[in-house]
Amino acid sequence: MSLTLTCPICGERNGYEFRYGGEDKGPMPDSKELTPETWTDYVHNNNSVAGVQKEWWFHRDGCGTWFTLNRDTTTNLEVK
Amino acid sequence: MTRLENLPTLKINSEKALTLHYGGKTYNGVQGDTIATALYANDVRIFGRSLKYHRPRGLYSLDGECSNTLMEVDGIPNVLTENTPAKNGMQIKAQNVLGIDANYDLMGFMDKLSFMMPAGFYYKTMHRPAAVWPMAIKFIRRAAGLGKLSPDFQINGRYDEIYPDTDVCVIGGGPAGMSAAIAAAEFGLRVILVENKPWLGGFFEYRTVKDKNGNPVCMRAASLAEKIEKTSNIRIFKPAAVTGVYNNNHVVGFQRGGEKDFFDRRYFQIRAKSIVTATGCYERPLLFDNNDRPGVMQIGCAHRLARTYGILPGRNAVFSIGHDLGIETAIDLFDLGVTISCVADTRDDGQDPELEKELAKRDIHLLKGWAAVKAVGWKTLKKVVIKPITGSGEHRLECDLLVASAGLTPETGPLTLGHAKLKYDNHTGFFLADRIPEKMHVAGRLIGLNDPLSIEASGNLAGLRAAADCGENDKDGVRQAEKNLASHSGPGRGSKFISFPGTGKKTFVCFDEDATLKNIDQAMEMGFNVPELIKRFTSTGTGPGQGRIPGHNLALYVAHTDESPDKKPKPTKTRPPLVSPLLATYAGGAHDMSKRTPVHEMQKAAGAKMDRVGVKTTAYDSQMAAGGKMERIGVWNRARYFSNDKTSRDEIENVRNNVGMLDASTLGKFRIHGPDALKALQRVYVSDLSKIPEGKIKYSAMCNHDGCIIDDGIIIKKEENDYYFTTSTARAGATVEWIRYHTRYEGWDFHLVNLTDAFGVINLAGPNARKVLEKVTDADVSNEMFPFTGYREYFIQNIPIRAMRLGFVGELSYEFHVPSSYMQSLWEMIEDAGKEYNIMNFGLEAQNTLRMEKGHLIIGSESEQRTTLHDLGLGFLWDRKKTDTIGYFALNQTEKQAGRFKLVGIKMENPGSEPPKDGSPVVTDKIMGYVCTARYSFSLNEPVGMALVDDSLAEKGTKISIFEDGCNGDLKHARIVNMPFYDHDGTRMRM
Repeated sequence: MSLTLTCPICGERNGYEFRYGGEDKGPMPDSKELTPETWTDYVHNNNSVAGVQKEWWFHRDGCGTWFTLNRDTTTNLEVK
Repeated sequence: MTRLENLPTLKINSEKALTLHYGGKTYNGVQGDTIATALYANDVRIFGRSLKYHRPRGLYSLDGECSNTLMEVDGIPNVLTENTPAKNGMQIKAQNVLGIDANYDLMGFMDKLSFMMPAGFYYKTMHRPAAVWPMAIKFIRRAAGLGKLSPDFQINGRYDEIYPDTDVCVIGGGPAGMSAAIAAAEFGLRVILVENKPWLGGFFEYRTVKDKNGNPVCMRAASLAEKIEKTSNIRIFKPAAVTGVYNNNHVVGFQRGGEKDFFDRRYFQIRAKSIVTATGCYERPLLFDNNDRPGVMQIGCAHRLARTYGILPGRNAVFSIGHDLGIETAIDLFDLGVTISCVADTRDDGQDPELEKELAKRDIHLLKGWAAVKAVGWKTLKKVVIKPITGSGEHRLECDLLVASAGLTPETGPLTLGHAKLKYDNHTGFFLADRIPEKMHVAGRLIGLNDPLSIEASGNLAGLRAAADCGENDKDGVRQAEKNLASHSGPGRGSKFISFPGTGKKTFVCFDEDATLKNIDQAMEMGFNVPELIKRFTSTGTGPGQGRIPGHNLALYVAHTDESPDKKPKPTKTRPPLVSPLLATYAGGAHDMSKRTPVHEMQKAAGAKMDRVGVKTTAYDSQMAAGGKMERIGVWNRARYFSNDKTSRDEIENVRNNVGMLDASTLGKFRIHGPDALKALQRVYVSDLSKIPEGKIKYSAMCNHDGCIIDDGIIIKKEENDYYFTTSTARAGATVEWIRYHTRYEGWDFHLVNLTDAFGVINLAGPNARKVLEKVTDADVSNEMFPFTGYREYFIQNIPIRAMRLGFVGELSYEFHVPSSYMQSLWEMIEDAGKEYNIMNFGLEAQNTLRMEKGHLIIGSESEQRTTLHDLGLGFLWDRKKTDTIGYFALNQTEKQAGRFKLVGIKMENPGSEPPKDGSPVVTDKIMGYVCTARYSFSLNEPVGMALVDDSLAEKGTKISIFEDGCNGDLKHARIVNMPFYDHDGTRMRM
């Protein structure tokens, strides 16, 4: 967690202050339309991109906002 | 030995003596000595024995590049004595020695057995027949490893930590680093300078040679250091090691405290806008037979022994070097009184003509294109054999000191950890930084510079560029600095790699792991041709020196020997920590942070035994039951018992028959309000919350996507779009995050406020609770006006109360939520009013038994990560029409799923037996569940409990067996029964 992240409210802060919230997969599909396969895809399976991915972060030790940013998983750096 | 005096570079004070104890003898050192220099001054030449072959090892370097001088100091093993300051009275022991000091080692014969230990012998030998290995491993375990730590050893000292933020962080306090720091600081930027020695100056500091302006470089170092010390916006960390450099300019390391510091070690994490690495070079060992003999040392080591510590490293020296620094040192040591037989230089040409003249003046032979091939001697050096690299002939020279060095190796560790890429450079013979991340700069010897003025100029330029990263872009200044750097000499030609053909059996590439050239050859014969893999297979460079001794040599030797077309030298990977810290450094100071409830002191005064709750492990209760001292667990201090009776019998019976009060302030308490507040609640709670009647509480639970229960609590609708809800103590911290996460896409309009610390909670429970309450309030609290599950807001005196009737402990019970500042007053009022009924405090343990008798669950005790709402029999809470509730899909899928653990009540087959410990597994021929909570029930006069068991055992009447830790395998037997155990119809809580 040595990286820094840019919170939309607090600005650039130490990675320690944040909690990772997973890849951005969009809103949960309606439960009535889910099958066990699509549910598993949404809840548990990840794309695990080697490169830039959009993901969720929570500014836990700060303003308490969930926000998305782009991070390069190969360098572990935020991509602005 | 008397020390040299009157040298401007000395760092010792020979007036101030100190004593060290080693091997049953006392040695005298002086203030400023390191442990190793103090011993060296007393003619100690052997400091330890090598890992595998128990070869004697001496002082080779003063920078901690190998394990040669690792010793046990005051009970701490593996102290690098060559750069640890000596303190009066230190107790020192040699390591890896069977004997009292390193001079005599009964394991010395191991050296003769080296043929039995080829590369990778662990993997290849002693495996057949299979029975050999278990015996061999015992021997290997005893023989392997460095140093011994007594299991009783407790480390003393103070361990601090800091997390500074800065503009520029300069790693390395040599001439380049200091120039960079000064350049950046001149803009008023905040600069942190990290230096690993106790003083600034780098390789200028001990040298009297003059730069092209005619200034002795040691004086130049002193004036730069003085300027740095005077600059208030430069903060110096010294002596401090950088252990790692990470993303976004995160520099991590530790500082050693001096006499005046309040810490012994201080861990630091620096966040910088820009980094300058000016870590300089260490020396590249020369490879020849017995290159590890005591008496063989590096140029810098020999030079600094004399110049910094006033110790002549030997009387009669031979030099075998590959760099002008070697010639300079030979001249200087000659002038200080060392006899020098000759200087063998691996280079055929390219020596500094001025230095050659000085050598000639002193009548010292310079043999160009020659190098040492063998050191002769066992415990001390007797002779050196030198040979020309091409051609024939040899000299055998008697000596007691061989100053040997193949050249220089840049310290690239911080660079590569900071994600710079290295590339081999033929001109300098270095792995140079090829691609450097943004906002990181390099300067000094690290980029191959040798000339003192070039080094300073490169530092100045790096400092200006770092300042530009921080918004101080002085374009003219940078252009000027670039011109200035270009006007001085550029990177010098590096020394070539040499290795003589021969057996290489005792030519050590890595001292720490006793890896020889022969081992590398063996690995290559087996098909390894990548240095990184050879490193793993032969463990070359995996020791405490972190690969600094094999450094470039391994990669160069492999490229040199490999016959494949692609044979560019490839560096091995550097990993943190670059320097090994004490574990205590990482542990840091005491981090015991916890919260107290508003009535903490009052509870203590009433005799409470405090305990920590909030985040519990499943083992917690059983360990408590076993008499364990569990400290520093949860975030809260809570009263667990009010007597020494761990069953809390009096407290329990008082609640059942009279009236008790409990401080429940640790409950999570939240307000959610705004137009979309209800939508947010509906998303996370499994129940339908759209129709909570006024004046009523609603019990519900939250699940995760898997349908597993994560929290339970009550929700109150205070008014339209304004709700108050509680969570369990442990869940309070994650609640805001959870609710906001699961509404993150919608942009709903609601506000969520954590009131956990703002409100305190008193639970008044027992058949006489109403009588006590009636004494303090005028409000009508009769059962008709304020029934079970009711919610009321009223005043007690002037204190605003949120009152609710709950049945967690199974009796008539009130919960008062009041602003924390009123808690003590209300507590006293109720206590006073209750005196006539002999009201008593009850603690967490009493509450636990009381609620267990009622079959009420605590998340985390009666559930674990895989427990669903259905498993706990709480499926009735779930509203299956709300399809967008978190967990809906899984709740639907698992409702009828077989093979799950179900929550059941249990009674012991033998009512006289002790209740099983919490967490004890339920077993058949395999584990079929576990006991959640079991206690002796004073209401039923027998032990009862709750357990999560496989649904095949969950039928009422089924007999189960419980394995309990510490019962020698004797199983306890219990039977599944109905819950609750107490007051089945719930009439008592509705009174």
